Amino acid sequence: MANLEALDKEAEKKRTRPIGSIQWLFQAASGAFIIFFLGVHLYVAHINGGSPIELFDTVVGNLRDPWWLAFFLIFLWVVTYHGLNGLKGIIYETGISAKARKFVSWAIFAVFVVSVIYGTILSLVVAQMAIP
Amino acid sequence: MPSGGESMLESDNGTLGWLNFFHKGIGYFAYTMHRISGIVILLYLYLHFFVLSNLLRGGVAFNDLITSFTYGPYDIFIVMDILLSLVIFYHGANGVRLMLNEAGYGLKHHKLMFFILESGAMILMLLFLYYAWQVLLSGGGV
Amino acid sequence: MDSENYVFLVKRGDEKGNSRFDRFNVPKKKISTVLEGLVYISENLDGTLSFRHSCRMEICGSCSMQINGKPRMACSTIAESLGSNTIRVSPLPHYQVIKDLVVDIDPFFEKYRKVKPYIIRKDDKSPGVELLQTPEQFKIYEQYSMCIKCGLCLAACPISGSDDDYLGPAALAAALRFNLDSRDEGTPIRLEITGGESGTSRCHYAGECTEVCPKDVDPSRAIQLLRRTGISHELKNAFRRGKHAGKR
Repeated sequence: MANLEALDKEAEKKRTRPIGSIQWLFQAASGAFIIFFLGVHLYVAHINGGSPIELFDTVVGNLRDPWWLAFFLIFLWVVTYHGLNGLKGIIYETGISAKARKFVSWAIFAVFVVSVIYGTILSLVVAQMAIP
Repeated sequence: MPSGGESMLESDNGTLGWLNFFHKGIGYFAYTMHRISGIVILLYLYLHFFVLSNLLRGGVAFNDLITSFTYGPYDIFIVMDILLSLVIFYHGANGVRLMLNEAGYGLKHHKLMFFILESGAMILMLLFLYYAWQVLLSGGGV
Repeated sequence: MDSENYVFLVKRGDEKGNSRFDRFNVPKKKISTVLEGLVYISENLDGTLSFRHSCRMEICGSCSMQINGKPRMACSTIAESLGSNTIRVSPLPHYQVIKDLVVDIDPFFEKYRKVKPYIIRKDDKSPGVELLQTPEQFKIYEQYSMCIKCGLCLAACPISGSDDDYLGPAALAAALRFNLDSRDEGTPIRLEITGGESGTSRCHYAGECTEVCPKDVDPSRAIQLLRRTGISHELKNAFRRGKHAGKR
């Protein structure tokens, strides 16, 4: 049997605080959200979204409604997070070094921030556009 | 004397070993396809951002672009869209199973859950494609 | 095809990565299991063939190898059950080959050691005292204690194939086995190890470890259950700022 105090001290030295399961929880929760968001999005975009040859009017019309705008912005953030976090996992599991993992983690975060800012600005600008 | 089969099995090793779902269980197939579909959807997401950026070019240009994808001359994209919906519905259904299983629920029936959820998703997908197709037919007058 | 003989295609290799397939005809009358076939080869056809084996009854976990595309124990694989006259035998994937069918199993045990697979007690200073356990308490973890450390699960796991740091199915199942043990008090310490970036979060439930496990340990199930306990542990930690995460 092992000495618990010694083990505690050893763990104390490292002071690691794993968050692997919480990261999993975030991925699963964002996935659950996406099923709802994507269901609504597919319905609105392909089944009950007006004429496909005048899609611009429908999109701009939707984005002018603050509720729809909020809906699409949250959708954008969540779906980008879910996708890029999944990609991060795949890259991690190719067996790269701890240093490379840190780099990948920051790179993915940077891509996330840029994508989300670009998407948000795009939505806000499009919401101000005139319908011909 | 290596045969074709053996060299294929050798690819279990290495970075891309996970792609080899031959001779494995249904869970492995689900796992490999979940990854591939996830990567495809992520690539589509950025293609989607790119297409939507064309909204900035104004109503006429955007509508022309979308119409060219839908009614020609680039209506081959509809085939891609159908494949994309297959990938999305697959990923979603398997994602629901993983969400439950990986949280410790339904572990004894995970294979049955895979078949039921995927069957349900495929039925939903066919319904979606049917209605979306009707909209395309009515909207374009083709 | 000669129906009197099995054709054994055995992958021969060395540390340097050189490899070739040797073909051996083994009389069907002489053998029942794949291991017996290999023993027949080494005794009668080629004495230089290297492979590990010991108990011949699926207890020691030595004769793990890839047989007809799947990681299996050679001793418990009946040649006839493979349904083919040709039997392809190669070393376990995801391990370094030492010679022929012998692989370096050290990384497997290093990972196993990492999860502290032993009883951890607060009152560790009084050895010699028998710790009592009821049959019901034993039943809770019995399944996970059946592991014979054969290493097949690591050979089958797609993540272990590419990510050397991943603890792998056997080690994580062992962690759950001790976490569930009523005599053990080391759960928070183990969750610190299994919750990290090389722990349960790397598992995506391909379930292949369970498919190949000869003792029905069901490691993939164990990992998901371990993840569940990990979630509440980590959430508690997240709201307990400043204190050491592993403290009870």
